[in-house]
Amino acid sequence: MNAAWPATVCVPEHDPARHGGRRALGFLADLSQALAVSLDLRTTLEPALARILDFMQAEAASLFLLDEATNLLECRVCVGPVDIVGLKVAAGQGVVGRAVAQNAPQRIDDARNDARVNTRVDAETGFVTRAILCVPLATAQGPLGAIEIINRRDGGAFDEDAAEILRLIAAPMALAINNARLAAKLAEQQRIRREMALARSIQKSLLPRRRRGRFPLIGVNLPAHEISGDFYDYFELPDQRIAFFIGDISGKGLDAAFLMVRVVSLLRFSGKDASTPAAWLSEVNRELCNTLQHGRFVCAVVGIYDRGTRCATLASAGFPPALRDDGIRFEELPADGPPLGILAEAEYGERQVDLADAALYLFSDGATDVREGARDRLGSDGLRGLIRRHAALAPEPRLRALIGELKRRKLVDDTTLLLLQEPRGSQVRELLALRFPAAPIRMRAVRAALRTALDAEDVAPELRDRLVLAVDEACTNIIRHAYHHQLGEDTCDETDSIALRVTRERDRLGFELRDEAPCVDAARIKPRDPSECRIGGLGLAFIDATMDAWYIEGLPGGCGNRLIMHKQLKAKTESDE
Amino acid sequence: MNENTCVSEVCGDYVLVRLSGEVDLSWSQQVRRAILDALGDGGRVGVDLSQVGYIDSSGIAALVEGLQNARSHNRKFVLVAVSDAAMAVLRLARLDRVFSIFSDLDAARSA
Repeated sequence: MNAAWPATVCVPEHDPARHGGRRALGFLADLSQALAVSLDLRTTLEPALARILDFMQAEAASLFLLDEATNLLECRVCVGPVDIVGLKVAAGQGVVGRAVAQNAPQRIDDARNDARVNTRVDAETGFVTRAILCVPLATAQGPLGAIEIINRRDGGAFDEDAAEILRLIAAPMALAINNARLAAKLAEQQRIRREMALARSIQKSLLPRRRRGRFPLIGVNLPAHEISGDFYDYFELPDQRIAFFIGDISGKGLDAAFLMVRVVSLLRFSGKDASTPAAWLSEVNRELCNTLQHGRFVCAVVGIYDRGTRCATLASAGFPPALRDDGIRFEELPADGPPLGILAEAEYGERQVDLADAALYLFSDGATDVREGARDRLGSDGLRGLIRRHAALAPEPRLRALIGELKRRKLVDDTTLLLLQEPRGSQVRELLALRFPAAPIRMRAVRAALRTALDAEDVAPELRDRLVLAVDEACTNIIRHAYHHQLGEDTCDETDSIALRVTRERDRLGFELRDEAPCVDAARIKPRDPSECRIGGLGLAFIDATMDAWYIEGLPGGCGNRLIMHKQLKAKTESDE
Repeated sequence: MNENTCVSEVCGDYVLVRLSGEVDLSWSQQVRRAILDALGDGGRVGVDLSQVGYIDSSGIAALVEGLQNARSHNRKFVLVAVSDAAMAVLRLARLDRVFSIFSDLDAARSA
């Protein structure tokens, strides 16, 4: 017998009824244990059935499992003189079929004279069926099949006790079969997941590597599931200009992912010697129209960027409008023609975009389709708001921050962002750098230093005063809400400090405040509506009304915050709003 | 600019709280107390802002609290001789039309 079977406990035979009960309990315990430790039904069920045959003192035993798709019961294991493995009966037919259909035990004491019994097997094999006991393998989701034993070895019929014991035996068997099925399903899911992860890594290898140094393009692709129908790429042309593209395959899933691979190589190949972005798109469009399956199409933007003139030429085939951001306002650049793969004769326009003092954002519709709450799309306005909030950051951390914001919401589609911006850095001048204790009493001197620094830059007095107010409010917010300084308290912990750094890059002033307080929840810091007459949040409203953009982030490690505020200086047309 | 001071004096039917210097978080609690004390006397209250070179949101909050307190007790609460610096912040907070603002107490009396 199977090695997994523990030895049955021996009980003295002085009380036959008690002995029988103990024997049954011992048998059930052994059976349950043997079934519980194995997830491989092929090696478990047959020895279990042989043990049941012996224990029940029967001549034959069989186990039938129900195929839900066909509603047929098939014998999967049997022990005894006749091999009926593979025998199929319809649910509801014969003794086994009835046990399953009624989800109730069936007992036949005289099989030869019982119309419920199917006599075909007997007729074919010469085996004589006299008594039958059959119980369903019951689960919460209905019976999985049935277990049947035939003919007591002593020639008698099965009694009620035997029926009860078989019912008890059926319970752990049903459980074991259910477990084994779940385990098999899980293994299959894991296999699919591994293959999807592999497909994802192949897809990722098609995206360009992030360039080191001062390269003007960075991109991110976030698949909504393992694989993506979005793509982007960039590469240098022989004349030093940079070609780039971003796109989105219609549909989702594996077929979109395969098509993405093809479209990326096609765009790359055609881009190498295309004269203009419009010609580039037209060529790829013609090729895709010849080969794409009906109903498939590709939305894409292609462009060529000249670092010398800081000018990009774009052509868009049905892609969401690109955004040019000069730090003050957004300009929307709509598509120049239909998506690729629909009309072979489609013509594409192209446009010049001056990026000397601006950034260009290209994004698949997944970026605007992220869900804010249960239903609301982030939308173009929402995305612009996020860009504005992070405008103070350098391109790479800004893209990271944007991705972080999108991830915090619910991604419903593949999301890809490509940012084209000439890296800054060289022309940034530092106007002021101060570190001071986080105490209200220190602010008067800080304001004086800031006024002097702004006066040296010829900032108009009204604007200067508002900038001083905004920085002061930011500092007092740090003192009160990050360091939790109590009102009226003049002293502070000497280690609590604030660092202020004021910079100027061309006509843009930058104010950076750092503290060492525990990280604040940036999402909870929102200015109140200025028309509302209440006291709290007024300082933040001043900041919001004065600065073009501001952004607060917790520093890594849970300690310290960084607030960045920006103000573009313009010819004296500052509005008071 | 001037030293930070906050002086209350009786001017006829008004208690006048004269502020000077830079009203900020370091002493706006004192300003708040002085205004509420002046209102506690039961008469009309004016706050003179002519010598205020700077006021932050905590200073504005002290003024708003004074106004709310006065309204709830049906008392007159006015700002007088508001300096340009203070006026700019009141405008920014869109409170320039919420407060009663006069050039001096006489103008407040005849309004």
